[in-house]
Amino acid sequence: MSRIGAPLLVELRQVGKIYHLGESRITALKGVNLSIQRGEFVAVWGPSGSGKSTLCNLIGLLDTCSSGTVHFEGQDVTALSDDQRSELRNRAIGFVFQSFNLIPVLSALENVMLPLQIAGVSAARAKRAARKRLAEVGLDDHAAHRPAKLSGGQQQRVAIARALVTDPALVIADEPTANLDSENALRITELMRRLNSDNGTTFVFSTHDQRLLDRVERQILMRDGEIIDDRSPEQSAMRLDRSVRL
Amino acid sequence: MISWLKLALRNLFRNRRRSLFTILAIGLGFAAVNTLGGFTAYIFTSLKDSYIYAQGNGHLSIFKAGFLQEGKLDPTRYLIDEDEMALIHDVLARHPEILVTAPQLHISGLLSNGKVSTIFLAAGRVPSAVSKINRHARGLVGKIQLFDGKPLEDDVMRGVGLSRGLAEQLKLGLDSDAVAMAPTVSGQINALDAQVFQLFDSPVEALEDKLMSVSLKFAQSLYDTGSVDRVTVLLESDELTETTRTRLAEELAAEGLNLEVKTWNELSTFYTKVKQMFDVIFLFTFLIVFTIVVMSVINTVSMAIMERTREIGTLRALGVKRRGIVGLFAAESMLLGTLGSLLGMVLTVITWSGVALLKPTWIPPQITRRVPLEVYLVPDYMLYSVLLLIVLSLVAASLPARAAARMQIVGALGHT
Ligand SMILES: Nc1ncnc2c1ncn2[C@@H]1O[C@H](COP(=O)(O)OP(=O)(O)O)[C@@H](O)[C@H]1O
Ligand SMILES: [Mg+2]
Repeated sequence: MSRIGAPLLVELRQVGKIYHLGESRITALKGVNLSIQRGEFVAVWGPSGSGKSTLCNLIGLLDTCSSGTVHFEGQDVTALSDDQRSELRNRAIGFVFQSFNLIPVLSALENVMLPLQIAGVSAARAKRAARKRLAEVGLDDHAAHRPAKLSGGQQQRVAIARALVTDPALVIADEPTANLDSENALRITELMRRLNSDNGTTFVFSTHDQRLLDRVERQILMRDGEIIDDRSPEQSAMRLDRSVRL
Repeated sequence: MISWLKLALRNLFRNRRRSLFTILAIGLGFAAVNTLGGFTAYIFTSLKDSYIYAQGNGHLSIFKAGFLQEGKLDPTRYLIDEDEMALIHDVLARHPEILVTAPQLHISGLLSNGKVSTIFLAAGRVPSAVSKINRHARGLVGKIQLFDGKPLEDDVMRGVGLSRGLAEQLKLGLDSDAVAMAPTVSGQINALDAQVFQLFDSPVEALEDKLMSVSLKFAQSLYDTGSVDRVTVLLESDELTETTRTRLAEELAAEGLNLEVKTWNELSTFYTKVKQMFDVIFLFTFLIVFTIVVMSVINTVSMAIMERTREIGTLRALGVKRRGIVGLFAAESMLLGTLGSLLGMVLTVITWSGVALLKPTWIPPQITRRVPLEVYLVPDYMLYSVLLLIVLSLVAASLPARAAARMQIVGALGHT
């Protein structure tokens, strides 16, 4: 699946993240190196507090790192302005959140249309694209429902449709299943995997639930702000390298 | 763009009660300012009309230059003689917008009832010219008769009017006889018989026991002169006051006359004082409304931002820029401002029609009669209020909205 020569979709080099909480400094990430190819389905897992969300936020351009560099589609995004980062997120990155984060005053369809409308796409075109995506997640008959009228699993499927509506290069899903029962959690994971293989959309998905990792070929294990295991062909050399040093 | 407005509107409906109270605050503020504005507009118009028409002062008065400053010390030096008057008439005759020209001679002296005497001040005017000015009054002002008794007449010299205070002091009633005494322009003491034709209220309280009105002939005979001290002029419309003043001043100067032309509002100190007072009252009311509107909009928007922090984070993650967040809340508060203004307009019109229907009356200061209380509907005020309230809502919202737009996305998303 790896396309040698094509630029990496995401590349993190020696990325560190320090949070300042009053007087104290919390090191959430230290010296993280990570490369993600287009089309990959990457699971980031590890215990709570290990830095999964921090990593997802940096990859998703929601936050800036304290040290190191982040490249997205070959471009160094560390120095981009807030507006440029917003445009890039809108165009190229979709988000699925732990708590769904649908806009309560908008219907399912309008929620899915939202990223396109932010991009300035006409309402008619946005509506067509959104309907297609809603159908893809099996919710075309719930288009007019407000989020409050939907179950958790349905809301998260709407969120996935919303994340995909702009045909982004990357979808970031930080613990998308944490607020769902195990049956719905499995269905959501399956859905994301299917969309990955059908459309070739790159997914970075974090979880602390090891049961969801079945059949995910690339698994990044985090602990205390470091990647301690990255089961992928590209990174195996580095992993071995570090384990030797450890 | 439409869908963002729709989003803003739906967000307003999320907390109906809070939005309603904000709209109510804006609406009531709007109505308060506009009703007060409509009432002061009525007061100003009434005062103006009563000065210009009812009291017969006209729009413009022509004096010898320096009369208003020095005239009291040396009246004869500042009189306009018959030759000058002829020149003035020539100039005024060129102006079709001048409806009435009324020369006056103001005099002072002693009024006696045969036993005691007291100081009087009197305007000597041509009764027919004054009533011509009166008849040009619009609406109510023209209908109110400001005196008891009968009108003065051009040719019945002895007929005079007395302010009630003056009549009381001398125990004079209607038809009583009295004698007016004053030095003539050449310095001899002169006396004339007078008969009380009318009693009136002095427009200035301080003059209540001194004021008299006489015909121009009476004044000129008492002073033994053919001169006058001013010429008052009534114009076709109030708007012509300033331009006509300028043109008259130029044309009179061109005739070699050393005169000055004063407008009605320069001469009516009462009008100016009342206007200043109402302007201050209006300013206070406006500031209170301003504060209430700004505070309630800031409060509403701040609460909305607090409740919707995670939503702001979500919108930012989906690619909405900082100014987009400001825009969203600005749109919401602009809607509040617009709906509040609409409500305010409705309330103002309801108040206005209520007043027009019930026709309440009141006794304004300086007038001893009950007159109708009116509130004018002033479209200009309404328009300015709408614009101002919308701008105010926008500015008030932009403070918390800009803070919201600067929030860290990750922090906002983690907000519960
Ligand atoms: N906004 C923040 N301020 C301070 N510390 C934070 C903040 N966000 C995360 N952390 C800390 O950074 C570390 C990593 O957190 P996080 O990335 O959320 O881990 P995970 O998603 O794996 O649970 C934790 O120790 C956490 O307490
Ligand atoms: Mg997390």
